[in-house]
Amino acid sequence: MKQISVFVENRPGSLMEVTSRLTEAEVNIRAVASFDTPEFGILRMVVDDPQKAKQELTRLGFVVRIYEVMGVELQDEKGNLNHMLSILADGQINVNYIYSFVIREQKAPVMVFSTDDMEKAKEILTKAGVKIVTDEEL
Amino acid sequence: MIWAKEETLPRKELEMIQLEKLKKTVAYIYERVAPYRGKMDRAGVKPEDIQTLSDLRRLPFTYKKDFRDNYPMGLFAVDKKELVRFHASSGTTGKPTVVGYTKNDLEMWLGNVARIACMGGASAQDIVQLSFGYGTFTGALGLHGGLEKIGAAVIPMSSGNTKKQIMFLKDMGVTLLVATPSYALHLGEEIRKSGLDPETDLSVRIGLFGGEGMTEAMREEMHRIWGKDFLCTQNYGLSELCGPGVAGECQELCGMHINEDWFIPEIIDPKTEEVLPPGERGELVVTCLGKEALPLVRYRTGDMTRLFYEPCKCGRTTVRMENLSGRADDMLVIRGVNVFPTQIEEVLLSIEEIGPHYEILVERKNRLDVMTITVELIDDRLLDSYSKLSELEQRIKAGLKSQLGLATQIRLVAPYSLQRFEGKAKRIKDLRKDGL
Ligand SMILES: [Zn+2]
Repeated sequence: MKQISVFVENRPGSLMEVTSRLTEAEVNIRAVASFDTPEFGILRMVVDDPQKAKQELTRLGFVVRIYEVMGVELQDEKGNLNHMLSILADGQINVNYIYSFVIREQKAPVMVFSTDDMEKAKEILTKAGVKIVTDEEL
Repeated sequence: MIWAKEETLPRKELEMIQLEKLKKTVAYIYERVAPYRGKMDRAGVKPEDIQTLSDLRRLPFTYKKDFRDNYPMGLFAVDKKELVRFHASSGTTGKPTVVGYTKNDLEMWLGNVARIACMGGASAQDIVQLSFGYGTFTGALGLHGGLEKIGAAVIPMSSGNTKKQIMFLKDMGVTLLVATPSYALHLGEEIRKSGLDPETDLSVRIGLFGGEGMTEAMREEMHRIWGKDFLCTQNYGLSELCGPGVAGECQELCGMHINEDWFIPEIIDPKTEEVLPPGERGELVVTCLGKEALPLVRYRTGDMTRLFYEPCKCGRTTVRMENLSGRADDMLVIRGVNVFPTQIEEVLLSIEEIGPHYEILVERKNRLDVMTITVELIDDRLLDSYSKLSELEQRIKAGLKSQLGLATQIRLVAPYSLQRFEGKAKRIKDLRKDGL
């Protein structure tokens, strides 16, 4: 699954600037996470059209990059996040960061995470019977 | 006390000394310094054309750039075996400005510093805490030697470590402080915070300040913090000219007396390069008289000031220069260190993840200068993780630290967020009003 990362300054309204530009371009945001320091932050998003999002934002002067991340379906029950993280921990997969979907009409919740070892993560999760979500299924 | 009789000569006598030394200096520099001889030849002036002091204006200028073009020792007039000391200060780009001294030059230099120390009230009884940074800068060793010459006892404290500074001030019974004025204010406030009153708990009664200008607002603040009887003066010098010792304030506080038997000052319009009449404000140009290792003729200091020739109440007849009123170029003085925007530019251009545009903001926080440089991030590969951005920030800081010798703050912003300028960019914002 693809994620776009955008560099934003830490000042009022800077996140909104990105999201409103995407809305204007009719790009839908599925998941969002921001990581910030006192001066600047990285806004991470899963959108329905990452190429278009990158093109639009770059044209408007943002620094944007597309990354490959992993999206996995969670069972809609108690302890599901913990269960997922323990599968990864047992498989020695180091998770850089996680976040989850904002909207997913009627479907199971999705957790997004980044790791430096995508292949191994895929293998372990498949073996454990976890459903991996692809861009097409968004 | 007045240290040297040359400080009190009638102007006629002083001018006779100046003319004789000037003739010798011009002949000496023409014979020994090839770049300067080239300039004189191109200007069509020969040493024998210098017959009066006003012939000085026929000579070509020397610029900071000449040091860079002839780095490191191309402007020196003596063989290396004659040299006994080197110092270095900021250059306009990565290479420092290197200066050298013969034995006689040191003698002359420290003699001039001794005069300035006496002007500011120092005497053999003083115990001096010297809080300039030691190292290649001329400030610390210059004041150190000059104060020892008059018989004062010097503690070579160097800068920083405020706690230790306070302990020495108190335990050693220090009577005289040498520092940049902003550091003296900072130190004074720290002393007050520690529960001591500098006026009653310490013996410091004299401040000799330099390395950066001291405004009248700073002097008033100095009295508020260090006590109403604190005698604080400032002095002026540039490493290219020798270091401190070019000029200093006497206790009348009406400008800095220039040691005119060693330095001839002129004031010019920095744009037209015409010499301006006495009393008008312009760029200070200095000709050094009798220097052996590094003679300089008509050196463009970049400092803006005015000159007053009336004899002073203190008994000295030497000309006084007004407190500096800015720069003819865009040099900044940050914590007493000269910084050229071109130096900063050189570092930023060597880092490919950021764009070529930048802004410099200078503020005074807690009495100390803080410089923040804003740069635009252009490389999307760094968005991978916060640690990569943070690493970039650290790398820019480290590059600037090694180039400038100063810590800086970095602010990363999105591309195109800095203002674009046509022609000369106004990249510097200096918010240090009145130096406070
Ligand atoms: Zn005077």
